[in-house]
Amino acid sequence: MIEIKNLHKRFKISREQKKQKRSGGRNGTIDAVQNISFKCNPGRIFTLLGPNGAGKTTTLRMIATLLKPTSGSITVCGLDAVKEAVEVRKKLGFLTGSTRLYDRLTPNELIRYYADLHYMDKKEFMQRRDELFEILDMRSFADWRIGKLSTGMKQKVSIARTMIHNPEVVVFDEPTVGLDVMTSQNIIHLIRQCREDGKTVIFSTHIMGEVSLLSDDMAIIHQGQLLYNGACKDFIGQKGGGSVEEEFIRILQGKEQ
Amino acid sequence: MNVIWTIFKKEIIDSLRDRRTLIVMILVPLFLFPALISISSRVIMSQHRKAKDKVLTIALIRNGNAEDFRESLVGRSDVTVVEDFSLQECKERIKTDSLSACFEFKSDFDETVKSMAGGKVNLYFKHTDNQDVEKDRILDLLNGYGDKLRTERFAELGVDEKIIKTLNIHQFNLATVKEKLADTIGGFLPYLFIIFCFMGSMYPAIDLAAGEKERGTLETLLTSPVSKGQILTGKFMVVILTGTVSAAISILGLYIGITQVKEIPPEILSILLNIIELKSILLLLSLLVPLTVFLGGIELALSMYAKSFKEAQNLITPLMIIVIIPAFMGLLPGMKLDATTALVPVMNVSLATKAIIAGNIHTLHFMEVYGSLIFFGILGVITCIAVFHHEGSVFRS
Repeated sequence: MIEIKNLHKRFKISREQKKQKRSGGRNGTIDAVQNISFKCNPGRIFTLLGPNGAGKTTTLRMIATLLKPTSGSITVCGLDAVKEAVEVRKKLGFLTGSTRLYDRLTPNELIRYYADLHYMDKKEFMQRRDELFEILDMRSFADWRIGKLSTGMKQKVSIARTMIHNPEVVVFDEPTVGLDVMTSQNIIHLIRQCREDGKTVIFSTHIMGEVSLLSDDMAIIHQGQLLYNGACKDFIGQKGGGSVEEEFIRILQGKEQ
Repeated sequence: MNVIWTIFKKEIIDSLRDRRTLIVMILVPLFLFPALISISSRVIMSQHRKAKDKVLTIALIRNGNAEDFRESLVGRSDVTVVEDFSLQECKERIKTDSLSACFEFKSDFDETVKSMAGGKVNLYFKHTDNQDVEKDRILDLLNGYGDKLRTERFAELGVDEKIIKTLNIHQFNLATVKEKLADTIGGFLPYLFIIFCFMGSMYPAIDLAAGEKERGTLETLLTSPVSKGQILTGKFMVVILTGTVSAAISILGLYIGITQVKEIPPEILSILLNIIELKSILLLLSLLVPLTVFLGGIELALSMYAKSFKEAQNLITPLMIIVIIPAFMGLLPGMKLDATTALVPVMNVSLATKAIIAGNIHTLHFMEVYGSLIFFGILGVITCIAVFHHEGSVFRS
C-alpha cells in the first residue's frame, strides 16, 4: 500500500531555467507538487494522469525515495519513505520509459547485479530468474550484450530487472513512452499481472487509452495540484455523453479558468 | 561491504568492456614509453653518428698567414678546406649549412704570434644545441693548432711547459650517479604518474557518474536498497583502481622500454637500470594511491555534477592543465622537497619522485607528502559525497 498525505515538493530554479523563463516560480523556487494526498491499495492499479510537466514524475520519484518531499508524508507498506528509505526500496520496483540499461553487460549479468543489490540469495535468485526468463521468453538472448539487443528485448530485460526481487509495490513512470505497440503490450501485460499477484501498482501516463484499459483508481494532476482522485469507473461514469479525453480536458480547462 | 563489492565488481566489468577505458588505462601507458624511448633513441643515435661522421667543410681566410695550419688540414679525410670565399660569402654559406665554419686569421696573425702575443682568429659557425658534436670538432681543430703553437713557443724559449701550471686541481664530486640524474629523470617521471593517474581515472569517473546519469541508469540504481554512500564507495574504488593501475602500467611500460629497446647506449642503460631499482619503484607506486584518491575525488565530484558525458569532459579536461602547473613548478631549479613544499599537492609528488630517485628522500617529508595527499583526497571525497547527496545535482537537467 502507498499512502500520501499533503505531499509538497518545492524546487529551486536554476540560472539556466531562469534565463529560459521555463517556470513561473516566485522567489527563485517552483512548487512542482502542491499538497496532494491519495492512497494506492494492493491488488489495484492506480493511475496518475496529467499533461507533461504536471508533477507526475516528481511524485513518483518521491515515492521511490529518489527525491525528498519538502513537506507531507509518504508511507509505503507501512514504512516512512524518508526515514526508512532503504527499507522502502527493498519493497519497490521502479520502471520508467526513459530508463536505459548497461549496454556492456548481458541480461544475465544485469539481473544478477540487481538481485545482489536486493540481497537475494543464490537459490532464490536462480529460481526467480528462470521464472522471469520463461515468462518473458528471454532465454535466447540472456547472454548477449544488452547493447546488441532490439528495443523490445531491452524492454523485457528492464521488466525482469524491475521484478527480479518480487516487489510488493511497483512504480511505472510513463512506461510505454516511445515504445512500439508490441513492446507496449509487454508492459500492459506486466501491469495487469502485478494486479493479479496482489501487488500495489502505481503508474503515470498522459495516454487516455491506457487509463481506461488498466486503471482501478486514478488521480488527475495538473500544475502540481490534484484535480481528481477516485475510482476510474466513477470518473468514466461522470463524463456524461463525452469521452474520457473530453472530460479530462474539461477538468484541466476548468482549473485554468 | 558485500554490496560495495557487488557494485565494484559490476563497474570493473563494465569499465573493462569499454574500449576507451582499455585504451587509455592499459594500451597507451604500456606502449607509449617503449615507443617513445625507441624512437627518441634511434633519432638521437642517428643524429650523433651523422655529426661525428660528417666531413667538415672549413673556409680559411688567412690573409697570407697560418700556412702550417692550412697544411695540417689539407691532408685530413674528415675536413675539406676551401679558400676562395670572401667573409660575406662564408657567412651566407654557413647560414645555409653549405659550410661548417670559417676561420678568419687577421693580417698580422703570424707577426703577432712571433712576437709572443696572442694571434687573433675569428671563428664563424652556426650552433644549435643538438650540434654539440660538430661544434666540438670545429673547436678541436683550432685548439689543436693553438697547442702546437704553444709547444713551439716554449721550445723556442727553452722553458718546460709544466712550469706554467700553478695549480693541480683534482675534483671529487661526491654526488652519486642517482643524484646527478635525479633532476633530469626525476623531472620526467612525475609527469608520467600525474598524467596517467589522471587519464586512467578520468574515463571511468566520467562514465560511472555523468555517463550513468545520461543513460538514465543512475536513477534505477538509486531505487535499489543501497545507500548513496555504498554506491559512491563502489564507484570510487573503481576510479582509484583504474588510475593507479594506469600509472603502474606506465612504469612497467617505461621498464620495458628501457630493458627491451636495443638502441639505448649501454652506459646510459646501466645508469637507468641502477636508478629503477625495486625499492624506488615500490616507493613510487606507494605514492600513486593517495595521488589517485586526490585526483579521482575531484574528477568524480565534477562528473557527478555534470548532466552529461560531454559536460563532464568539458569540466574535467581543463583540470589537467591546472594539475600540471604544480607538477611543473616542482621542476623549477632550486625546488626541493622540504617541510613546506611537501604539503602542496601534486608539486609534492613531483619533488618526492626526484628525491626517491636520488635516494635521499627524508622519511618525515615523505610522510608529509602522504598526509597532504590523503587530506586533499578526503576533501575530494567529501566534495564528491556532498555533490552526490544533493538531489539537484543527481537530477540536474
